[in-house]
Amino acid sequence: MYQYNQVDQQIVHERVEQFRDQTRRYLAGELSADEFLALRLMNGLYIQRQAPMLRVAIPYGLMSAEQMRMLAHIARKYDKGYGHFTTRTNIQFNWPKLEEVPDILAELATVQMHAIQTSGNCIRNTTTDHFAGVAENELEDPRPWCEIIRQWSTLHPEFAYLPRKFKIAVTGSKEDRAASQVHDIGLHLVQNAEGEVGFEVLVGGGLGRTPVIGKVIREFLPKEDLLSYLDAILRVYNLKGRRDNKYKARIKILVEALGIDTFRDLVEAEWQYTRDTELKLTAEEIARVKGFFTPHAYELSAKDDVSLDQQLEADADFRVWFERNTRAHKVAGYRCVVVSLKPLLGPPGDITDLQMDVVADLADRYSFSEIRSTHDQNLVLAEVRQTDLYAVWKVLSEHNLARANINTLTDMIVCPGFDFCSLANAKTLNISDAINAEFENLDYLYDLGDIQLNMSGCINACGHHHVGHIGILGVDKKGEDWYQITLGGSGREDASLGKVLGKSVAADEVPSVLRKILETYIEQRTEEERFLDTVRRVGLTPFKEKVYAADH
Amino acid sequence: MPLIINRERVQDSWVLVSPEDGADFVEQASGHELLLVPFEYIEAADALSPKQLGVQVTGDVEVGQIVPWLSKLSLIAIEFPVFRDGRGFSLARQLRRVGYTGELRAVGDVGRDRLGYLERCGFNAFLIADEIYSDEALHAFSEISVHYQGCADDPRPIYHQ
Repeated sequence: MYQYNQVDQQIVHERVEQFRDQTRRYLAGELSADEFLALRLMNGLYIQRQAPMLRVAIPYGLMSAEQMRMLAHIARKYDKGYGHFTTRTNIQFNWPKLEEVPDILAELATVQMHAIQTSGNCIRNTTTDHFAGVAENELEDPRPWCEIIRQWSTLHPEFAYLPRKFKIAVTGSKEDRAASQVHDIGLHLVQNAEGEVGFEVLVGGGLGRTPVIGKVIREFLPKEDLLSYLDAILRVYNLKGRRDNKYKARIKILVEALGIDTFRDLVEAEWQYTRDTELKLTAEEIARVKGFFTPHAYELSAKDDVSLDQQLEADADFRVWFERNTRAHKVAGYRCVVVSLKPLLGPPGDITDLQMDVVADLADRYSFSEIRSTHDQNLVLAEVRQTDLYAVWKVLSEHNLARANINTLTDMIVCPGFDFCSLANAKTLNISDAINAEFENLDYLYDLGDIQLNMSGCINACGHHHVGHIGILGVDKKGEDWYQITLGGSGREDASLGKVLGKSVAADEVPSVLRKILETYIEQRTEEERFLDTVRRVGLTPFKEKVYAADH
Repeated sequence: MPLIINRERVQDSWVLVSPEDGADFVEQASGHELLLVPFEYIEAADALSPKQLGVQVTGDVEVGQIVPWLSKLSLIAIEFPVFRDGRGFSLARQLRRVGYTGELRAVGDVGRDRLGYLERCGFNAFLIADEIYSDEALHAFSEISVHYQGCADDPRPIYHQ
């Protein structure tokens, strides 16, 4: 993974001191609350319902065991002993004290971490595939490009006061595990007819109040032009994006208003000024960054292991976990392990300081000291020898990190909701608990197959409900929490927006409504048909009839 | 209001003439050697042949509208109506890109914590409200002393510096 040099280190240290001074001036009354708000947001600090919330950046979801131990230390020393992983693959701490945040940032800087641009109207953490570099069918590892974007966008002087936040995702394989089509910019590594690898560029995707699937602005962008093209898009957006209404300020609204062709013309015109400038990436720089992401020293003998088959045969629980929570690695003899942060009881994405230490130790011992955080709020130990899987599973099981539910109904994406977030209209964590209680039986979940359930506590859609196969949106009706259900969404390569099932349902009805939806699926499905495909084939009507007819 | 040019506090010798509706522009603008006017008055101001001409714009004005006047302008002031309005950062870069080398001044809601970014985007002058200004604000320019990406101040990315 990328290692800081003296310049990277100096930037984070200077940023810590800058923020320390901003906090000091705010507490001394020299800086207005409104101005400090913009400044602290650009450093990941919110003031939430209970306390401040600090969001720490995990660039493209990749961290070292040492960094994970630091996160555990922060959770213990400055928080209540846990953290929460987000869909931008960052981690949030819910209980830091405002005046201690500069000290937290200083501690993070000692392990090459920071909270720069994890919030605010600027370019956010670039995300990618959590199986980047290890997926079998990958065209190219997207992480060097994420790192190039990270450096270019970090403390970018021109793009710190954009109309609204700005999110970029990069993928390197045909499978999209980064929800790239619902990003402000989605970048797909692709090959053109001449066999050159470059980027397909999508623009104007997003969720929130106005969910939109991104549109292709350029089918093939040469690699060396990546930054100049991003620069052109950002400049057009910064100059022309709406600033009169925060709900209409994202780039998707501008692209919709102008039309993709007009928007493309503006970007291409702007690009002509910058394409052949210092923004053009050099082969040396690309090679330098790629040098940080070379394959690990895999053992060729790992594939000769015979113990795994015996263990799978001997231990049914292990076999179930292996089938559900591990994935193929491009090198024979290795597997990718998904660490489930979706326990039976507990908020999705939450992790305790002890669990963080456990995962860090496992990474050190079995997975080249690296850990990934995923878009769907789990962790990944990406490169475990198959002979070590049983030992890894044992440890994960002991610490409630091995629930064999990856990609099942209970592997939910859920925002923290009203319990923590000051934007939320409705609670989410009580609903996820109720869903877990209703669908505790794993065999039933396995029979249902892959289902992505996403839940948000308000229309800002941090839980990506629009792109869940099943989406749940919390709404406030006269002081009560109600839940609107959508079906048929996907954030993957077959991206689509879910359609509203019907009138919203009360909190205590959500589990039974889900049960009816799933029964309808079982009745309607053909052999081997995924939930999403059934919804797409039969439409919403059978689901509506089952859910709402039963009322009478 | 304190004016900083090239990181030093200096006297402001320009006069901004921005008549209210109905007021006579020519009457108000006549006789000023260093005349600064809002963009809509640029032709009228030019007709008065001041010794030096400056124009004040917001993000509503596009760079293409200013370009025909560049050879006559000694000052371009970009107004930030509120600090969240970041259009001026991009407009400044575009003005430097088309070769404007004169004074580029940030006016309006210009706070200490944006000085570094503004300077990197090509501003060399900053008009700061009295209640915000302190000599300590000059430190803001050097809080972050290294940068990854090129900008108007230095187009080279870190790996070419």
